[in-house]
Amino acid sequence: MILIIGGAYQGKLTYAMEVLGISREQVCDCQREPVDFSKRCIWHMEQACLACVEKGVEPKDYFQAHRAQWQDSVLICRDIFGGVVPVDATCREWRQATARLCQYLAGEATQVSRIFCGLEQRLK
Amino acid sequence: MICFISGGAKNGKSTLAQNLAAALSRGGKRYYIATMIPVDEEDRERIRRHIADREGMEFETIECGKNILSCLDQADREGTFLLDSATALLMNELFPVERSYALDPGAAERCKRELVEFARSVRNAVIVSDYIYDGAEEYDAMTEQYRRGLAGIDRALAAVSDVVAEVAAGQVILHKGVLPG
Repeated sequence: MILIIGGAYQGKLTYAMEVLGISREQVCDCQREPVDFSKRCIWHMEQACLACVEKGVEPKDYFQAHRAQWQDSVLICRDIFGGVVPVDATCREWRQATARLCQYLAGEATQVSRIFCGLEQRLK
Repeated sequence: MICFISGGAKNGKSTLAQNLAAALSRGGKRYYIATMIPVDEEDRERIRRHIADREGMEFETIECGKNILSCLDQADREGTFLLDSATALLMNELFPVERSYALDPGAAERCKRELVEFARSVRNAVIVSDYIYDGAEEYDAMTEQYRRGLAGIDRALAAVSDVVAEVAAGQVILHKGVLPG
């Protein structure tokens, strides 16, 4: 599994498509649909985390339970961890739960890349 | 050589940019492109601080808050240009003061095109931007348009730059190329 992180609009999906050879049909966009592990690439993973948090489910537990299904996947998550601690409790929990998930997935990943202004920074 | 620098606020981007511009110019002309159009005392104070920072560095200041290519009319393209910052430039273009800050929808693309052309037209440039992409906050549609526009500019400039550096707490994270100097 390859984990791609980075801030908004940095070119994370573009990197997955141009460098890792992901096609648009292989992408599950969690901003528009529930997470679908049959797709090779999970995009906007932070939105899947938000759906978990709103249901009272820990995203890390959810992903761990489906571990076998994303072993060869490309997982893309927006870096939402900077800035001021959000005032809204759900937003606060979402931010922390997403960060916990990223740490877990980074441990499992064969490659972790951060995309900065369209350029890849290899973290693992 | 074109250097692109980004990072968080007050992390040392301008200081690095000034040092890089000095290293690149090697006795040639040095231009500081002042992009901020001050609207209040806070802006004027920030400008005073930046001017004090540049004292003794022999930069010729060119005021150019919009239409970046126009600054080339009054400068030698063989010189070294310090453009600080793309962030302010886009703000001025996207929310023009003469239109009471009403959004100009074509501004981000135009600004990107002009900045890339600027980078291709001069011998040396150091261009500073701001990394505003890693918060969890929800922004209004206008702010998102600004963020998306600036990210497009950043990515286009990073692609055509020889050096791409991120600054964090005054430390440099090199993403592309080798720092001059």
